Amino acid sequence: MATQKNKSKANENPLMQIEGLHVRYNTRIGQVSAIDNVTFEIEPGEILGLVGESGSGKSTLGKALLNMLPSSAGVDGKIILDNENILDLDYEGIRDLRGRRVSMIFQDPMTSLNPVQRINQHLLETLDVHKAEDIKENAISRIKELLERLGIQKERIEDYPHQLSGGMRQRVMIGLGLVLNANLIVADEATTSLDVIVEAKLLDQLREIQKEYGVSIIVITHNIALIAELADRVAVMYAGRLAELGAVEDIFDRPLHPYSQGLLKSVPNIQIDDEEELYRMPGETPSLIDPPKGCRFHPRCPEAMPICAEIEPSFEEARPKQWVNCWLYQDHTDKPEQRIVVKD
Amino acid sequence: MSKKGNNSIDTKEELNTTLSEEGIGLLGRFLRGRIWYGAEWYFAVAGATVLIAILLMTLFAPVLAPYDPNGFVAAPFIPPGGGHQLLIVRDSDANNVNIDSLDQQVFGVIRNKNGDKVARELTDSITRYGDLDALALALAAGEVDFAFVDELDESMIPLSVNNLTIVVRGMGTSFPLGTDNLGRDMVSRVIWGARTVMSVALLSALFSSTVGITLGLISGFMSGLVDRVLSLTMDSLYSFPGLLLAIAMVAMLGPGMINVAVAVSVIYIPTFFRVVRGQVLTIKEELYVDAARSLGAKSSSILLEYILPNVIPSIVVVFSINIADAILTEAGLSFIGLGLPPDIPDWGYDLSKGHSFLVAGHWWLITVPGVLITLVSLSFSMLGESLSEILNPRLSDQ
Amino acid sequence: MSDRLRKYILVRLLLTIPMLLILVSIVFVVLRVLPGDPALAILREGASEEQLDAFRASMGLDKTIPEQYVEFLSGAIRLDFGESMTRDRLVIDEIKTFFPATVELALYSMVVVAGMGIISGAYAAKNRKSPADYTIRVASIVLYSIPIFWLGIMFQMYFGAQLGWLPVFGRLTSGNVPEVSITGLYTIDALITGDFDLFIDAIKHLVLPAMTLGLVLGGAFARLTRANMLVVLEQDFITAGRARGITERALVYRHGLRNAFIPIITILGLQFAALLAGAILTETTFSWPGLGRLVVDRIFDRDFTTVQASILFFAIVVAGINLLVDILYGFIEPRIRY
Repeated sequence: MATQKNKSKANENPLMQIEGLHVRYNTRIGQVSAIDNVTFEIEPGEILGLVGESGSGKSTLGKALLNMLPSSAGVDGKIILDNENILDLDYEGIRDLRGRRVSMIFQDPMTSLNPVQRINQHLLETLDVHKAEDIKENAISRIKELLERLGIQKERIEDYPHQLSGGMRQRVMIGLGLVLNANLIVADEATTSLDVIVEAKLLDQLREIQKEYGVSIIVITHNIALIAELADRVAVMYAGRLAELGAVEDIFDRPLHPYSQGLLKSVPNIQIDDEEELYRMPGETPSLIDPPKGCRFHPRCPEAMPICAEIEPSFEEARPKQWVNCWLYQDHTDKPEQRIVVKD
Repeated sequence: MSKKGNNSIDTKEELNTTLSEEGIGLLGRFLRGRIWYGAEWYFAVAGATVLIAILLMTLFAPVLAPYDPNGFVAAPFIPPGGGHQLLIVRDSDANNVNIDSLDQQVFGVIRNKNGDKVARELTDSITRYGDLDALALALAAGEVDFAFVDELDESMIPLSVNNLTIVVRGMGTSFPLGTDNLGRDMVSRVIWGARTVMSVALLSALFSSTVGITLGLISGFMSGLVDRVLSLTMDSLYSFPGLLLAIAMVAMLGPGMINVAVAVSVIYIPTFFRVVRGQVLTIKEELYVDAARSLGAKSSSILLEYILPNVIPSIVVVFSINIADAILTEAGLSFIGLGLPPDIPDWGYDLSKGHSFLVAGHWWLITVPGVLITLVSLSFSMLGESLSEILNPRLSDQ
Repeated sequence: MSDRLRKYILVRLLLTIPMLLILVSIVFVVLRVLPGDPALAILREGASEEQLDAFRASMGLDKTIPEQYVEFLSGAIRLDFGESMTRDRLVIDEIKTFFPATVELALYSMVVVAGMGIISGAYAAKNRKSPADYTIRVASIVLYSIPIFWLGIMFQMYFGAQLGWLPVFGRLTSGNVPEVSITGLYTIDALITGDFDLFIDAIKHLVLPAMTLGLVLGGAFARLTRANMLVVLEQDFITAGRARGITERALVYRHGLRNAFIPIITILGLQFAALLAGAILTETTFSWPGLGRLVVDRIFDRDFTTVQASILFFAIVVAGINLLVDILYGFIEPRIRY
């Protein structure tokens, strides 16, 4: 089933454009600003990591890409895929989108599969629901090929989920994500519940899939090391906003945003000096009901300036292909301090 | 770090901390609960309100009840609102009637139909008559000077024929809920009945809970053969039709409040047992009990300090639902005729009596107790259910 | 059939034996060991010592408790219940006469219960927090808080007396006796023999009692179904399914209900016990000639043997139903079957 996709990544039209996305939840004690003014693009055939702490909004963003936010949520902005705003789709359009154009892999494969449905029924149902006539003729053989490609034996496809191992189940999930040739896969904490060995195998597979089928994968996780291994680009989220976005090597070698810096510093490193203590970022994640004014990170930021508490910075390209949302790298009439110019 | 499934909204943790951190007082938290828990809160409050009312009724029964629930205070089968009486005299006397001077006069009342009470208040000289016509004739003939007749019979009195006039209306007391087949006031029976119902239900719930919880704790904690045997016994008991067991027990033990309470309670022991045992098993697996053990804590103190407090929310819920069901079971027993003896005012008993007189059209005998039993049982159920939702909330549903 | 299933069924079968034993023992304890002299309870005051002794001897009550127990057990196993004390019949025959009526009542009530459960569960869970959902919830709680016999009486008053639409007593219009008795269930027998009039008459008599029992129990069942559905619909695989584009309706009915159905099956056994308990009251209210009413009548009749045997019979039936339900569960739960 190897499709002849163009495997070069750069200079293609972006696969998906997220523009000015705002998501608000109405809860019993107030309105939560879960995502605030997020804008970025997803390139075709890339693996984009989305990191952040709990409450950063990364899960919400993942759901937004499939238009799976609760109906009570207030959503503004656009998510453009194939020249249409998926947030404007009607119910049938949304159903068509999910699984066929964008698919999702979940954290816990045991609970994400229907315990009373066999694996092949899962797959057939997905095809059926999308009335994928063009693929339906070879449906069975296609599925079998796909599963074999993923490393699941043909004999196992009539099994029930509980009969499979954790790693296998996750592979089934990946299979479900691929069966309709979606261009974008959202992996929401896909390996968090697996043990390290299984996780490693799965990562290898994800990479292979990406290379072979040319799909884009968004990997949502709080595990930075995972991103380092897997992703091409990284987006760092904090308190509902994008802090930084850029190539993996760039972000890891030279993080620009103070939050990214802190995040990378707190990853335990085997080569830690005896005298160096494990770094912990001071403070706590802010309340999203009443977020800090201006830059949401400023209460915890070691480099905070007066302007940070007043005005929001914008998400700008500090150097080619690396965006930062920080006053350190921007000018403003009210900002006396000089901005840092990032050299290549 | 949220390890929950994808349904979790990271912000839920946030919201939880916000609510408790704000350090609002108890009342504030109570009112906040209304927003936080929504419908469950209303259910719980509604249930609790009814229960407090019933509780007050129970405690203050002697004060609240106008009459002795077992005393024959009036004519039987007075419908709700009835009981007032008319004072009738001869036309010629109509303008001379002075209520205060009714002392020492001779009155006519209809045998077994008029309320003794009014007449007794005024004088001891009463003559009873068989029916309205006889009474009217006697009055006309001068054998008596005053006659008391139930207001509801007004249309049947041959007034004009005998030259009689009604001079006073609304004498005596009316009975808001009427009287039963023996002339007992329903309001008083209802109020005192609350006491009975609550006593039996509470007694039985206390008994079941004590036995059930103890056995559950032992079984869960000790495991092994003891656990197996006890669990099997409880499962068997649980699957047996409860009412049948209660019937058998009462049939053997005989009537009486304690017997009924015990009979009813046996049915619910397995429920407490299961819930407590389940909780014990869960908590046993949690690390901190192991930690305590490794630090050398004694089994009994582990039991008391760690397990018991965690088990209490579930117990409260089961207790509530238990009472709700016990009330219904007891009523069922009374209905069959195996309930409390007749000298104890009891809603179930009134229901069973009322059934027999339904044919005669006396609907209020069964309606009121029936509604009340439903209401009280309902309140306990609602309280139990909403407490259950509040104490063991499901995942968010935003 | 997988090994696991085989083992499961075997375990269930084996467990039934001690369970039955315990049930029989409980009945024994209640009827023989509890304080309260059965002889006095039956013969009442005014009986002479001779009469009491004679009674005790005939009942085997003069033997020691362990001896009595053995006798009791052996009788139970052989289903030899002896003779009725107030009728000239074998108890087993009495049971055979009256039990089918209870079965028929239970069956039709179950239809009502199941219907209420499914409707309320699926509907309320899907449209959660809607006014309809709250109405159903409140209605369910109210319904199962109503004393069964009271509801029955209300139905009798309204539909029977006031409106005159439906009969309020018995299984058939008096004088109407079915010619052939195959199952003992009048509706089934009528259909088999093609006796349409009999069928209609039987159904008409079934409506009120079945509705009474069904509605009250249905309230409890609906509540449980709803709770189960909610739990199921919150599970991850439902979200995962939605993420693949499966329609909401398919999620609720195909995925949700099928999964919720499995734990509900396990509740059915208990529901049946509640059904039998409720049947006692329903039969008393509607003068329905079933086993429940037999027990009550014979208690007042002092027909000790019949009472004892009927209660035992109930116990055996309950154990049997539980076993069947457990086995059924093994077949429909893939985690056991495979």
